[in-house]
Amino acid sequence: MTTDQSPAESPAPPAERGLTPADLHNVRFTRASMMRPGYVDTEVDRVLARVAEELGRLYAEKAALRDEVRSLRAQVDGIVVPEAPSEQAVRILSSAQQTADNYVAEAEEFSRQVTHDARVEYEEMTREARETAGAILQAAQEAAAKIGPSATPGSERGLEEVEEQVAYLKAFGQAVRTQLRSYLEALLTDVETEWGKADPAVLPVARPPAQRSAGTTTFEANTVEEPADGAAEAVPAATGARRSG
Amino acid sequence: VDIPAMRANFARAAATGDEAPLYFYSHLFLSHPETRALFPVSMAHQRDRLFAALGDVIARVDDLEALRPILEQLGRDHRKFGTIAAHYPAVGASLLATLEHFDQDWTPELAKDWTEAYTLVAEVMIEAAEAAAEQPAWWEAEVVGHDRRTIDVAVLQVRPRARYDYAAGQSVSLETDVRPKLWRYYSPANAPRPDGLMEIHVKARDGGPVSTALVRRIGVGDVLRLGPPIGHLVLHDDSDRDLLLVAGGLGLAPLKALVDHVARKGPPRRVDLFAGFRTEDQIYDRPDLERMVREHPWLTVTFAVSEDKISGLEHGDIGDVVLRHGPWNSREICVAGPAVMVEDTVSRLVASGVPTQRISSEVFAPSRPGPSVDGEVTE
Repeated sequence: MTTDQSPAESPAPPAERGLTPADLHNVRFTRASMMRPGYVDTEVDRVLARVAEELGRLYAEKAALRDEVRSLRAQVDGIVVPEAPSEQAVRILSSAQQTADNYVAEAEEFSRQVTHDARVEYEEMTREARETAGAILQAAQEAAAKIGPSATPGSERGLEEVEEQVAYLKAFGQAVRTQLRSYLEALLTDVETEWGKADPAVLPVARPPAQRSAGTTTFEANTVEEPADGAAEAVPAATGARRSG
Repeated sequence: VDIPAMRANFARAAATGDEAPLYFYSHLFLSHPETRALFPVSMAHQRDRLFAALGDVIARVDDLEALRPILEQLGRDHRKFGTIAAHYPAVGASLLATLEHFDQDWTPELAKDWTEAYTLVAEVMIEAAEAAAEQPAWWEAEVVGHDRRTIDVAVLQVRPRARYDYAAGQSVSLETDVRPKLWRYYSPANAPRPDGLMEIHVKARDGGPVSTALVRRIGVGDVLRLGPPIGHLVLHDDSDRDLLLVAGGLGLAPLKALVDHVARKGPPRRVDLFAGFRTEDQIYDRPDLERMVREHPWLTVTFAVSEDKISGLEHGDIGDVVLRHGPWNSREICVAGPAVMVEDTVSRLVASGVPTQRISSEVFAPSRPGPSVDGEVTE
């Protein structure tokens, strides 16, 4: 058997040098003979023994090193405190944080005020509309009641007119509500965007606005289907509206 | 351990107002940048909270047994923020640096006492956190329904992705990616259901970052994070007294959950629910409550309005309306709503002869970032 580097010493290089991967690559066993094909088995046995020995030595060394790493790491953990930040760094970060806090607080305050004002306006207008509609309704009903008992052909026409007017007013009230609501929604969306600017980390996620449910809105005693946003420009024709309950 | 010296030292730092917490957090983030991600963009409210909590701990530092349950709760609760054991020494080091920075008479003895005290506190918190490790630190929950009921109220249906145990009347802290690291408390409006669905009522508060996002930005398919539930209004298990439930505004949510609890679990009892709103328009959950009344012969629901002249409903403050329907002396009573409404209702009921121990109440404050170390939900 020979190896390239040390043919003379092969197959027993000095023990302290150890067995390298290259040594193994370069092992060339001698052909046995014509009678017994294969390598000379004594050579093979000798190499195997050396490989086993080397492997054992490496394992032991690895265990020792692992222990050493562990004890060194324990020492390091006990001793090393991350270097304390300088007073200057703390001051700079503090003022940066305060600036950010102020911007967020301003955005929140702006949002609060705009939303508050919009809500007050919305509630006031809704209340006025409801009260006006209620008063008109009541007057109409009183008028209808007056006409009611003496039902002449002429008064019937009057009743019809009143009912028509009532239905028109209800639809009108509903349309005003819907318009107010979309106006307020638009305002609130603006506010929401402003808030987003104060907190840019959350802005990139473009998301559709929260889904509005197709709910119904109660107006006086009547339940009227809420029109879709934007469909509220025209006051619906009075003829389709339902009787008041 | 020289506790008076520690208290004096803490008082010096606390006296600087915002300065000391500002210094503390900057010091922490510079020495351990990885901790910054655990906090929201704006630290203003966080700073108030830190020294308030520390103050509570300092006040009781000589009574570890009283302090222990508080610290354990804090330790468990911090899991949802992403706090791990390795963060505790980092916080301790920055705390010490802060206390030293604001005290001219800092001594090695103080440093030693603070280190000892902090180590003890941290150990209790870490232990409690580790003991709770078999349950998730937070639960993801998908929004499967989002229903805008009024201009500023939405009713969300959320489905936790893993089993989430809670009791009717409890509160759940939740966070959305739209407003990272801002946790707020909400009460599910239903008792636990076999399909796990939870109904959450949210009112967009003017300028409130989380509530407005939940009402106006979140939609079906978004995912929320839930923290572990904490207890508030809980029915006495051994009692089958008839119930009187009084809600102001969004205080309706936990009380609706109690109604649902009686419907699912019993025991059979009469339940009278009073719900007060400012105007009739604001009664956001009327159809569903009316459905419950139709389904359950033992349930009545009375709506009242306080600022709506033309409504046909009962008028007046809800506490007043409730008393008109009394007497309620034999009832078990739960009251939930804004602070003024709760105080008013409870004091009226007590004055009418209801024993205080049979009234439980929960205040719904505009912003409920979390329980204090006393376990109370704070504004």
